Amino acid sequence: MSTMTVEELAVTVRPGFWTRDRRVGAGAVLLGLVAAVLFGSLATGEDARFTLSEDAGGAALTIDGTVGAILFGMVAAAAGAALLAGLPKRWFVPLLGVAVVGVVLSFLCWQVSAAPTGQNFMPLVNIVRGTFILALPLIFGALAGVLCERSGVVNVAIEGQLLMGAFAGALVGTIAANVWVGLIAAALGGALISLLLAIFTIRYLVDQVVMGIVLNLFAVGLTGFLYERLMQPEAAKYNQPPRFEAWPIPVLSDIPVLGPALFRGNIFLYLALILVVVIHVALFRTRWGLRTRSVGEHPTAADTLGVKVLALRYRNVLLAGMVAGVGGASYTLALYTFSKNMIGGKGFIALAALIFGRWSPTGALLAALFFGFADQLGTYLGAIDSSIPSEFLAMLPYLATLLAVAGLVGKVRAPAADGKPYIKG
Amino acid sequence: MRSVRGMRVVSVFAVGGLALGAAACGEAPSDSNAGGAAADKYTACMVTDVGGIDDKSFNTSAWAGLEAAKAADSNIDIKYVASKAQADYEPNLTQYVNQDCDFVLAVGGLMGEATSKIAKANPDQQFGIVDAKLPESNVFPMQFDTAQAGYLAGYLAAGMTKTGKVGTYGGMKIGPVTIFMDGFADGVAQYNKVKGKNVQVLGWNKATQNGSFTNDFVKQDEGRKVSDALVAQGADVIMPVAGGAGLGTTAAAQTSGGKYSVIWVDVDGCQSTPNCPALMTTVVKNITDAVKDAVVTAAKGEKLAHDPGFLGTLANNGVSLAPYHEFDSKVPAELKAEIDKLKADISSGAIKVTSASQPK
Repeated sequence: MSTMTVEELAVTVRPGFWTRDRRVGAGAVLLGLVAAVLFGSLATGEDARFTLSEDAGGAALTIDGTVGAILFGMVAAAAGAALLAGLPKRWFVPLLGVAVVGVVLSFLCWQVSAAPTGQNFMPLVNIVRGTFILALPLIFGALAGVLCERSGVVNVAIEGQLLMGAFAGALVGTIAANVWVGLIAAALGGALISLLLAIFTIRYLVDQVVMGIVLNLFAVGLTGFLYERLMQPEAAKYNQPPRFEAWPIPVLSDIPVLGPALFRGNIFLYLALILVVVIHVALFRTRWGLRTRSVGEHPTAADTLGVKVLALRYRNVLLAGMVAGVGGASYTLALYTFSKNMIGGKGFIALAALIFGRWSPTGALLAALFFGFADQLGTYLGAIDSSIPSEFLAMLPYLATLLAVAGLVGKVRAPAADGKPYIKG
Repeated sequence: MRSVRGMRVVSVFAVGGLALGAAACGEAPSDSNAGGAAADKYTACMVTDVGGIDDKSFNTSAWAGLEAAKAADSNIDIKYVASKAQADYEPNLTQYVNQDCDFVLAVGGLMGEATSKIAKANPDQQFGIVDAKLPESNVFPMQFDTAQAGYLAGYLAAGMTKTGKVGTYGGMKIGPVTIFMDGFADGVAQYNKVKGKNVQVLGWNKATQNGSFTNDFVKQDEGRKVSDALVAQGADVIMPVAGGAGLGTTAAAQTSGGKYSVIWVDVDGCQSTPNCPALMTTVVKNITDAVKDAVVTAAKGEKLAHDPGFLGTLANNGVSLAPYHEFDSKVPAELKAEIDKLKADISSGAIKVTSASQPK
């Protein structure tokens, strides 16, 4: 504690020496040492096995628990020391990455080695797959946010769009007994919420945030009502959605760990990854992207140059609804039947991922994966009878996100015209 | 401008969360019979917990109990109101007291405090509560020792596992949930003792009372997330005690092609879930019959004794193991016989099942 105080003082006294890199480096050294000492002493002499399969079998990376905890803690500390030594700026991100991964690995060596006999392993395929499954709705949701907000419309209605997509996918998919029809219906369901958002905020200039909240409530109410009236009494007729089967991709699915985790999934996982790339390229490399961004930053200037601001916003908002609607279908056309309010707040976390990812598609993907990993890690620790109380594990994803946003992301800037209605004239 | 946006984002999260919370429970209160029915009828009125009447769990089964009571005695009239939030408990209870209900049923231990307060204020009114026992003598307690049936399920799971590992997880770390898990863990331990095996329980440690939880009773993706982790650690029989969240596990189990199977809880899963083929059995909590008996007895004018109240056990069929349904041919006859024997032993008191969450 006292060293911290000295550092804090030093920051104010000598801002020239204590750059952001050095402060982060000092933190990493401290954290790495604490990890090495604390986790090293708590870890047992059991081997910690990181299996390359879905379960305990197959090849594994094995390390003695105590050795691993100390070793990875020291690696993190060394990365911090390198930062402290004042390496050039370009080393900042890689070194920070090494430090974070080192601390996490040190922690895992402790947890895995201290697990009950027979449980001293971590199935990496399961962890990676779980991370992506948990991140999936967040990726779709955050992409819907990117499309809207880059053109200057705040999309708080992601939750409602996801829910409407899930509902429409389940209902129409069941009636038509066809997954593709269900998928199209889901996209249209999401677009319906978007259409309302667009009409009220673009045409009638209603506050975008307020409108988004109202639409979320509308979606919960409408789907809840129809669920009670249609799906509950006659589940077989209205709520037995068909399912997209898993589509293994040849060659790619044979890559160790990543193959079985990512390339034996269903259409939604592939769609999400493709959409991230497509939207990223479109946003930063095409004419549409340039116009979208200019409308989001300075609509008056864009208008002067002949861009149809309102039409572009309408189009983007509708597109966003369709993307989120497909994300909703990833619930009902893959595994689950529809249930009331089944999205349960993921849309709001997607909104956080969007901001955390700095309004960029790839950033949103990384943010969603980060959240998914923390969530999956907490679940894994619960399953191996970790000594950490389950209440704390439940908090882990939110805590990790909070730390990441507060400590690592730095300053984020929204599109300048985000949330402001455009009035021509 | 940035700070304004920041504030907005914060307020959106706050308002959005609140609104969703409220909306999730936002179903219209509906009475099955319009109020003001014939004055000479015996009226039983039920206040649901926030899960609503269609939770496929204790609210549903309590309402089924009232319907059964009505079917058994035509002089009984029934109605219910759904609580949308915990703040609704007191107004809903008060409303029914004022409507001259003869029997006011509170469903769920969470309503204990509110029921206690209203019961104290109306000492002549007959109340009933599921999953709690209150000091007020005019509140008839209906409690269930589900650890006993969970014990049988644990023994069954241990006898059926091929991997030597079985799993369970809960919706929330509260007594009515963890009591299932305690019984389950003890049943597995009993199997190990008798057979000299070493079947492990994942997801719940009875000694430390720590384990896997979804922290939710609705979201199927949360349930599936937890059971996936347990299956990856080797479990091939899973018992979710998480209400609707457990449906994620049953759905995933059915598509797993027999890799793992599920033991359901509360209401027989072959009636309450779409995934009967994946279900080994169900740990049944017979709220329906308890409620029905209490109301029918009270309607006859008999006094409901606060002590001991109703305690559902294996002996009085208040808790039980449901039929094996599609697993009937897969469970060896020998194992079935052992479970029947265990049931008899627990009923007679030869075997004592203990849990920190047991009703006293």
